[in-house]
Amino acid sequence: MIDLQERVSERKNFFNRLLLIHIFFTFLFVFIIFRTYTLQISSFSDYEIAALKNKTREMLVQPKRGIIYDRDGQIIVNNIPSYNLIIQPSFEMNLDLLFEDLGSYISFSDDEIKSTYENFKNKASLNRELVLKQGLTHEEIAKFEVRAHRYENVFIAERFSRQNLYPKLFSHSIGYTGSLNNEDLETILVDQSLQPKETVFNYSNGYIEGKTGIENIYDKSLRGKFGKRIYEVDATGKLLDLLNEIPSINGRDLKTSLDLESQKTAFIEMKERRGAVVAVELATGAIVTYLSSPSFSVNKIANGLSQNEFKKLISDKDKPFFDRAVQGRYSPASTIKPAIGLFGIENNIIDWDYTINDPGYFVIPEDNRIYRGWKKGGHGNINLNDAIIESSNTFFFSLAYDSDIEDLTEHLAKFGFGRNVCTDCFLPDNGLLPNPRWKMNTHNFGWFKGDTVNMGVGQGYLSATPIQLAYYSALLANKGSINKFSFVQGYSDPIKDTVKTNNIYASDWNKIHQSMIGVIDNPKGTAGRLKSLKDYKIAAKSGTVELVSTETKEDYKIIRENEGNRDHAIIIAFGPMPNPKYAVSVVIENGESGGSVAGPVAIAVMNTLVKND
Amino acid sequence: MIKKFLNIFRNGAYIDQYLFISITLLSMMGLVFLYSASQGNMETTIKQSVFVFFGLILMFAASQPDPDFYKNNALLFLLISIFLVLLTLLTGKEINGARRWLDLGFFTLQTSEIIKVTLPVFLAAYLFDKPLPISLKNTFLTLLLIFFIVNLIRIQPDLGTSLVILIAGLYILFLAGLSWRFIGISSSLFILSLPFIWNNLLEPFQKQRVLTLLDPNADPYGSGWNITQSKIAIGSGGLQGKGYQQGSQAHLDFLPETETDFIFSVIAEEFGFFGVCILLLVFFFILFRCLYLALNARDRFCRLTIGGLSLLFLSTIFINLAMVVGIIPVVGMPLPFISKGGSSLLSFYIAFGIIISMATHKKLMRR
Repeated sequence: MIDLQERVSERKNFFNRLLLIHIFFTFLFVFIIFRTYTLQISSFSDYEIAALKNKTREMLVQPKRGIIYDRDGQIIVNNIPSYNLIIQPSFEMNLDLLFEDLGSYISFSDDEIKSTYENFKNKASLNRELVLKQGLTHEEIAKFEVRAHRYENVFIAERFSRQNLYPKLFSHSIGYTGSLNNEDLETILVDQSLQPKETVFNYSNGYIEGKTGIENIYDKSLRGKFGKRIYEVDATGKLLDLLNEIPSINGRDLKTSLDLESQKTAFIEMKERRGAVVAVELATGAIVTYLSSPSFSVNKIANGLSQNEFKKLISDKDKPFFDRAVQGRYSPASTIKPAIGLFGIENNIIDWDYTINDPGYFVIPEDNRIYRGWKKGGHGNINLNDAIIESSNTFFFSLAYDSDIEDLTEHLAKFGFGRNVCTDCFLPDNGLLPNPRWKMNTHNFGWFKGDTVNMGVGQGYLSATPIQLAYYSALLANKGSINKFSFVQGYSDPIKDTVKTNNIYASDWNKIHQSMIGVIDNPKGTAGRLKSLKDYKIAAKSGTVELVSTETKEDYKIIRENEGNRDHAIIIAFGPMPNPKYAVSVVIENGESGGSVAGPVAIAVMNTLVKND
Repeated sequence: MIKKFLNIFRNGAYIDQYLFISITLLSMMGLVFLYSASQGNMETTIKQSVFVFFGLILMFAASQPDPDFYKNNALLFLLISIFLVLLTLLTGKEINGARRWLDLGFFTLQTSEIIKVTLPVFLAAYLFDKPLPISLKNTFLTLLLIFFIVNLIRIQPDLGTSLVILIAGLYILFLAGLSWRFIGISSSLFILSLPFIWNNLLEPFQKQRVLTLLDPNADPYGSGWNITQSKIAIGSGGLQGKGYQQGSQAHLDFLPETETDFIFSVIAEEFGFFGVCILLLVFFFILFRCLYLALNARDRFCRLTIGGLSLLFLSTIFINLAMVVGIIPVVGMPLPFISKGGSSLLSFYIAFGIIISMATHKKLMRR
């Protein structure tokens, strides 16, 4: 009886509790139903619209990229339409059958077929299009269009590809374009306040961005603004109607300061030898000639290169991709001498009448170490003017020996050494302007007096890029002031660099100019052979960079058997004198003689520039 | 064994026709929904059909033994399932940084789904003959076991399932007659410790989910994407829906996880409010049938088990729906009998098999 009562009360208790939970959940479910009701019935129209918006696919429309002109308004880089055969690898397809079928009326090269197979999987996983063949002919287009209904995911689209009309002349200065990756595209879209949506990327393809050179530096301006086409799609994603279109805005054309004619001259004269040519207009600091040699065809890079071709370029021992003009480091060698001379004048270590006797070598008193000149027997009694014309080493060894290294590096920095001298160059190197602190940090050695002596003739640790040499040349020509170099004028305010000196006067600059004119025109000048190549005056200073130190000419003859051991040839020049308009620098790797090898290139470029003015 | 099996036919099988029919109906609806939600993927649908087929057989088989069979072996079942969960932690297959699955070759078993059933059965078997109200000692022993198992699942990590197991365990305790005083004290302690839990126990992504719930529009393309798209799908379904396989949200890949967690959104988009109501009606029918069976069960063990298992079913449905309509944060939780996934499906068939067994076996002694 007790048992039964207990069970009855227990059942009642259980019943109450279970009911309590059910009531609790009933409330919750009523809330869910109410919620569903409000979503589906009360705010139906809002969500219907939202879902309708989602029933669209957005396709980006790439704006036409700006055209790049030279300083006379001649087109250098243009956009050319090309008709491409494209597939959508994210859909299943049998490539063997496809090629067999298409191949009956469109011819494919082995490279095209190979790259299709190679890239198919990758593009499928990215949901990107894959270009089977570029530049279809009208006949091929017509033949395909007749049969187009047979292929679901194969189509022809018009694409603009970037064409450099002088693909090997401007490979490093203008650079090349390449395909735009998803992350960069997203950043650009956010930047242009076009909200990126997932579907945008599904169909995005064929978009390009500047990868190197001017194409890269001025990418934002050349690029323009993306447009959008918004299509309605059905539940399977098939395009139905064009609902809306936000037009794209074409990129801005870019007029550069590059000069086509002098660029051609530089290219012809360099004969694909390793080296660089940089020429600038003194009045503006505008780069007019800019060549790194050997070069490569930018069009091939931009529009797809086969694996083999790419490997060949990459493994080429002459390194065509390497931009020697802003990244190649070379000792300035004897070209540094005018700057060292000015340093001596400013610090009253020497004056123009100061004379020493040059026996052909210089001995450091402290340790009797001998520093040799290039001419056996020396130049006899010479002053600064003669030392520049004849390129006496002893004179500058001695001058450097009397110099304070900290003051000297400060002086050279004013001439552009060890710093960036260009506002819009692609990945410029700063070269190396050494000082005792730098040597201690990197070599763990103190600075020797001999290091300063070596710097007096531009050898040793000191190194500069060809564009820095051109800057130095321009500063000499302009008597201590020049705009920072750039490829495009009027894009941003020019930055003026002025060498602030206390003790160098116009007369000193003029005397330096006279000495440098003498390098070519004086019978004793080191570049006398250049005199006949021109009919006006040019100031210059040649240099020959010793890569291997030798005691005698006989020793040099042995080491020059290996081309890589031969001296580099360097020249800086400006003219026409007495009112110079252009400055130029030329470096030819392993060219051996600055005056007679690099010199003619500099004169030819100068001639073209002067003649065309 | 064979003799026992033949006995079934001699005495008639133990079947509750209401539950059997309604669950079969629900399973069939599930297959139809899944076909659309998987973008018409025949392979997925056939695989699920096989699970449904075996699940129904399993449910039938589980309903044949006498409830005493479950009562007497409850501890064994629990120990086996704890062993499986531990095995999973050690050797389980890792998918997306979570170790939840045992690879059996033909089938990857989510072991936490088994313990979801065996724990309530064990608790009912343990508590059914304890004097009322439950002593403090028994309460703590039970809670200790529940928290131990919940924690095993939580570190896999599988927040959703561990939550359901916790809730199921607490139901049994509550139904078994946990004193109101204890409930009052412990729930106020829980509320007071909420800030501590938020700061120390929740992972950053879990906090993000809670914050997203409060304001899904703060980051509609990032963490709020799922819930925003789910609401658009449900809302755009309207009264009648867009029609079978016509849901643009589901078919254009805006909706995430359409085959599993967010399958309700697909249903709501394609069948509208109307379809949602029919689906909920079937769910409610099953639940009320369970309520009825629990109240008329033959003894306390059966009452507790039916109550606990049916509430497990109820809370799974609730968590899934509440998540999909954006009332609670996103936790991985399938919709029973509808979502893709073998382990969860089979465990619910077994759970209902046990319920049917308890509903149909009447006490023979002491008439």
